[in-house]
Amino acid sequence: MKRNSLIVIVGALLVIIFAFWLCAFQVRTTEVAVVTTFGKVTRTKDKPGLFGKLPPPFERVYKFDKRIQSSEFENKFREDLTADSNPLLTSVYIGWSITEPGVFLQKFPAGIPAVEQQLATLLSSSKSAVVGKHPLSDFVSANAGGSKFSAIEDEILASVRAQLKQNNYGIEVEFLGFKKIGLPEDTTQKVFDRMTSERQVLISRAQNEGEAQARIIRSDADLRASKVLSAAQGEALRIQGQGEAEASKYLGAFQQNPELASFLFRLDALRDSLKENTTLIFDQQTGPFTLFKGDLMTNSPSK
Amino acid sequence: MNDHSHPHDDHEHPHPEMPVDAGSQALSEALRSSFAIVRFVMFLLIVVFLASGFFQVKPNERAMILRFGKPRGEGEKALLGPGLHWSFPYPIDEVERISVTGVQKVESTVGWYATTKEMELAGTEPPAGPTLNPALDGYTLTADANIIHVRATLSYHVVDPVRFQFGFVAASNVVQNALNNAIVFASANFKVDDILTKDKVGFKNAIEKRTTELLERDNVGVAVDQCDVTTTWPRQQNVKNAFIAVFNAQILRDQALQQASSYTNQILTAAEATSNSIVNLAESRRVQYVNDISSRATNFLTILPWYKTNANLFVQQRFNETMGSVLTNLQEKIYVPDRLDGKSRELRLLLNREPPKPSTANTNQ
Repeated sequence: MKRNSLIVIVGALLVIIFAFWLCAFQVRTTEVAVVTTFGKVTRTKDKPGLFGKLPPPFERVYKFDKRIQSSEFENKFREDLTADSNPLLTSVYIGWSITEPGVFLQKFPAGIPAVEQQLATLLSSSKSAVVGKHPLSDFVSANAGGSKFSAIEDEILASVRAQLKQNNYGIEVEFLGFKKIGLPEDTTQKVFDRMTSERQVLISRAQNEGEAQARIIRSDADLRASKVLSAAQGEALRIQGQGEAEASKYLGAFQQNPELASFLFRLDALRDSLKENTTLIFDQQTGPFTLFKGDLMTNSPSK
Repeated sequence: MNDHSHPHDDHEHPHPEMPVDAGSQALSEALRSSFAIVRFVMFLLIVVFLASGFFQVKPNERAMILRFGKPRGEGEKALLGPGLHWSFPYPIDEVERISVTGVQKVESTVGWYATTKEMELAGTEPPAGPTLNPALDGYTLTADANIIHVRATLSYHVVDPVRFQFGFVAASNVVQNALNNAIVFASANFKVDDILTKDKVGFKNAIEKRTTELLERDNVGVAVDQCDVTTTWPRQQNVKNAFIAVFNAQILRDQALQQASSYTNQILTAAEATSNSIVNLAESRRVQYVNDISSRATNFLTILPWYKTNANLFVQQRFNETMGSVLTNLQEKIYVPDRLDGKSRELRLLLNREPPKPSTANTNQ
């Protein structure tokens, strides 16, 4: 009895697993699934979970990755002409995802490689059209507003989206951006020549600027220094004048006897002028040397 | 079929049959024991099956259980932290591991010339040709249409593991492309001299800002930690030399300006010092002059009565006293007596007999 029930359980389990395998399918959180009935799309499942289906050949399930794919197919530089006839190489990257798996299955039975091929064609034509509408200065610009880089990216994206919508591929481009911007190989040589001559201008400018500015700085310094000094001299004169004004109140004392004052001032001047390193030649007429001529009692300071 | 009846018979009439068929009894025993083994093995299999559901989440990762493909729980709650966890084994549950705290790095070389790390370290990079081959050499165009080389390394960490893991087939590619785009974008908005010398930080910040903006716009679920940017002028010899020459000329110019500026400091400091001393000297002279006059006036008033008493004597006394002190200080005194015949004498003098000493600078030379 026990052995039989065990066999039944095991058998039933195997049948359930087999039926489960035939009639159920999982959709992962990263996937979308399309169920076809005799080859015709009848249901799509874009939510994760466990779902039932009829066993083959009645129904078949196709699963796709619904995450954003970042394709690297646009690695190659492609040359286009800008509005001002400059050849410009650009390469872009995109992120795209499957939005309508049913449509996607019908349009791209070969899967992702076919999509990438289709996207590459679409992108190439959109890019050419948009690049042709802009001058080179829209891509690289030193103006205050900067380059119109992002606007150009948006234009290409809008163009690609419009074409995808028109053709109804069941996919959507989520984002798009430039990966590289360059110039044709022979143009790089010309750019290098121009850069070199621009450098020469900068070299002479730096030299002249240095000398001229240094001279300006120095002369400005000289001017400022002389202003400071002349201000100081002016101040010194003012102080001197102040001193003389202060001194004038003492002059009244000398008014009492100008003769004596004059004599004393002359004595002071004599003392001040005949200091060291002076040679004085005098005769017998000058006191006190009047003594030498025997004139012992008189003196003549006035001579 | 015997299996079915045997235990029943065994139960009803155990004793009479026992000695009759020893062979079938042995068979029955063997079957019973082999069923026990099968049971045990099945039990073991179930245990192993369930035990295989244990899994460990490391400190730098999170895990999410997908039951029949659907995450268990919503958003952050769906994430299992580090530790030991259990889930039903595949195909019921599936464990998705997500790296979170580890800092990840992407490097962009779309703007760098063809080289490898090994060649760079060994200094065996191939010499630059006269042109740049767009298929091999990366470079960027600056706002003033110059060609330069730029490369960058971006460090980032995952902040929204669910979005990072389940939103993109290859999220790190998206980060890489955002960095590529930021380099091209920032170059197109900066002049060559700003990128290479004047505004390196601004350029680096522009790359970081653009990358962050793109990653936020596309909701990649990462946060930028750091962005290291390396730039260089073209390797073509004549271009490189021209850049170096400008660089040197600018250094010389800056030196000249620096010297001029230090001259300014020097001369202004000296002028300030001189002006201070001029004013101070004037001030001290004023004080001295006023004091001098004041003391003379005082002295004058003191001696005036004495002078009035005998002016001649006073004058004689003062004059001789002054002459005495003056003559004491004189270096040379030449007395010329009158000639007896009353004629004037002729006196010859050699002046400036002591030549000035040669300066120390001259003696040193």
